[in-house]
Amino acid sequence: MSDHASDPKPTVDRRTFLKRVGAAGAGAAIAARLPFPGPAAAQDATVRPDPAAKRGGTLRYAVHNAPAHFDVHQSGTVANIGPQSPMYDTLLRRSPKDGQTIIPDLAQRWEISPDNKKYTFHLRKGVKFHDGADFTADDVKATYDRIKNPPKGVVIPRTPLFATVSDIVVVNPHTIEFRMSEPRPKAYMLGAFASGWNIIVRKKTLDDNQGNLRQVMNYPGTGPFRHVSRKDKEIWIMERNPDYWNKGLPLVDKLEIYHFLPFTPELGAAMLSGRVDYARLLDPVTWRKAKEMPGVTAANFNQSVIQAFWTNTQKNKALADPKVRRAIHLAMDRHTLVEVVKDTAPMQVGGFVYPFHEMSTPRAELEKKLGYQRDIKPAVQEARRLMKEAGYAGGLKNLDFVVRDIPTFKLWAVAIQAMLKEHLNIESNLRVVQTSVWFDEAQAGSFDLAISAIVSTLMDPSDIFSAWYGKDGPQNYSRWTNPVFHDLASQIEREVDDAKRRTMVRKAEDILENDPPLIPVAYEQIYDAWYNKVKGQNPSTFFGIYDVVRWDNVWLG
Amino acid sequence: MRKYLARRAVYAVVTLLGVSLSIFVILRVLPGDPLVAILGVEGHARMTKEDRVRIMADLGLSAPLPVQYARWLRDIGAGELGKSFFRGDTVAELIAHRGPITAEIAVLALIVSWIVGLPVGILSAFKPNSMPDGVARTLSVLFIAIPGFWLGMLIVLALLFWFGWKSPIIIVHVWQDPWQNLQIVMGPGIVLGLAQGAYIARMSRSCLLEVISEDFVRTARAKGLREGLVVMRHALPNALLPVITISGVLLGFVLGGSVAVETAFGVPGLGRSLVTAVIERDIIVVQNLVLLYAVIFVVVNVLVDLSYAWLDPRIRYS
Repeated sequence: MSDHASDPKPTVDRRTFLKRVGAAGAGAAIAARLPFPGPAAAQDATVRPDPAAKRGGTLRYAVHNAPAHFDVHQSGTVANIGPQSPMYDTLLRRSPKDGQTIIPDLAQRWEISPDNKKYTFHLRKGVKFHDGADFTADDVKATYDRIKNPPKGVVIPRTPLFATVSDIVVVNPHTIEFRMSEPRPKAYMLGAFASGWNIIVRKKTLDDNQGNLRQVMNYPGTGPFRHVSRKDKEIWIMERNPDYWNKGLPLVDKLEIYHFLPFTPELGAAMLSGRVDYARLLDPVTWRKAKEMPGVTAANFNQSVIQAFWTNTQKNKALADPKVRRAIHLAMDRHTLVEVVKDTAPMQVGGFVYPFHEMSTPRAELEKKLGYQRDIKPAVQEARRLMKEAGYAGGLKNLDFVVRDIPTFKLWAVAIQAMLKEHLNIESNLRVVQTSVWFDEAQAGSFDLAISAIVSTLMDPSDIFSAWYGKDGPQNYSRWTNPVFHDLASQIEREVDDAKRRTMVRKAEDILENDPPLIPVAYEQIYDAWYNKVKGQNPSTFFGIYDVVRWDNVWLG
Repeated sequence: MRKYLARRAVYAVVTLLGVSLSIFVILRVLPGDPLVAILGVEGHARMTKEDRVRIMADLGLSAPLPVQYARWLRDIGAGELGKSFFRGDTVAELIAHRGPITAEIAVLALIVSWIVGLPVGILSAFKPNSMPDGVARTLSVLFIAIPGFWLGMLIVLALLFWFGWKSPIIIVHVWQDPWQNLQIVMGPGIVLGLAQGAYIARMSRSCLLEVISEDFVRTARAKGLREGLVVMRHALPNALLPVITISGVLLGFVLGGSVAVETAFGVPGLGRSLVTAVIERDIIVVQNLVLLYAVIFVVVNVLVDLSYAWLDPRIRYS
């Protein structure tokens, strides 16, 4: 069924026209600012096949495809999104053209009430799940009820995004309303609805499995590809969904998704030897080699991960002092730290908010600030002054430094240990532990210093202000509190005016600079490469690897 | 003989019980939370205490340790090896799918070790302190010293950068496509075989040196037999016993070595599954695979002991 064939013919009145022009204008403005993403949304930009596209063929894609379980809602890793996304749709999605503009998916259009407290989605008609069942608003309600209020024993990281949704009301089988107890910025909410994690699952599937899909491998979606077979930690095979609602898509007949761990030589070898057509999360050495290869395109893009260093404010009196934490923050030579791991993982310097977000301090301005300059002498001088002022001019001894057992962290830990010793006479003992142990220790507070990485669902500052820096934030491993910041973060969450919000976010950054809840080490980037026969997708402007993984518009030349 | 077999069977069961208890206790005592891998970092961070209790109960980890151990033994007795914490795949399926690849690698390594090790040992023994002996001994020490995973990585990189070639990236069984299958197992088999071949060369050299100074070898030569017949008919069979013994022990090393070498070559065998399961803290998979390796080791040792009686008529088990 075509996009418009079964849907009521859209009437373009003055308001709709202005809305669309506005959306298109916002899209254009945002595109001009790329790679800084914003709240662009284009209601009339459903993905259409490239007129030049050829149909058919098998796309061989390499990515981590061994998830710990199959429940995408409960997941937080590329191991689920990587292989499973092509089988599902979301209400809204990010355009595969730029990875940022929010466009319709199962919701053909949407309306937001003037007070920003009601989101109404008009759903497509004639959409079918892979098991032949019709898609209706009940499935959307069941999906979002579960995300908002997970059943017992089910943990969904995106639950807080919908904390202000008070009611989800099915108006009719193809219209659904999300009513909110208080408004949130549009970009924040639309971003949450377009998140690749929030796939629409059939109500019956959830009912039949008591709301837990961890061990259900092949639950029906409405997506462009259907499950065919899977061999654990080897390959997941999918075929074109002939009943896909978006007629003409997908363009390839078959998807073969091969399992490779990120940044590994095996993944690099599979790409360079031509065993796969497209590789995601390549190591820098392979990526550089691929870039030089004829017939291959290589792209790098931003990822929703911060590599951070925590100081336990509750276990260690000295580390509770903001001056000491600011001194540690200034003693880090970030440009050198990025250089240290350049052959292991691609990184970039950044502050307390994603450095590529439009509301964060622009890079040029950031690099003038102490702690981010290439010449670190002034920063170190200031750091020593702060240590003296805090009463720790002689440094600190015997700090327990817990390091997650991953190559980048091990390299950084040694470098940071040396920087802290040399600049501030802080002596620490490295303790390298497995990932599962690291998170145990971090949550139990059994460390003085710790290094690891954490992710966010959205790039929006409010998401990270609550998860990473919130008083009870699940990833506030430093156990940091700052009432002024928490008040401000709460205001930022409610503020719907972008300009005012930007000013407030900058203010929040200043607070964090002077009283760091964690020390930003670097921000991750993603390296992809593909043979030029793969057409229709270039992730250079994407944010992260979780929102635009559908492969519906990709074709083989 | 039956009595001997019965006694060995009892010893084997006791040994395996000891192994099972050790691995069970070690996996439960070691720090680390499987829920980090199951729920992901964000999910784990947001998990409540009630969620933890419920999920641990679902995984069968909240029962007292003796109960968990008894359940595991019961499952093994019933021929069920349980399910992975992750994805719900059964361990039996995992072994059935990946076991043949690891078994092929082990057999290939054994064959390579004999094909390379034995002639080199014979040459060294019959031309002691000559240049070929010196070269053979140097190479033996070299292959014993070089870690298999490092050599494997070098081979993979050399094939990739010089020829743009990499072995198939998913399992192809020998009955599906023998040529593709050989491409998968060849690399790890040769690397592991060369290391074991070095041990066999050294062992066969020293055993042969001892045997060729015996009276019966001198007699054979005095009868005017050709040197080849002296070696093949008289010296070698008498020198083989210790070589066979060491081959049994080396099979254990091959299985252990396959963990690293499969990873280096990117071969999805049981060794690599074990590495992944350890990283994921998938204790059901780890404990069953370790026990499987222990069973193979015990069985091979019994078979080696039994082969003595067949090879040497002087040995009788009673």
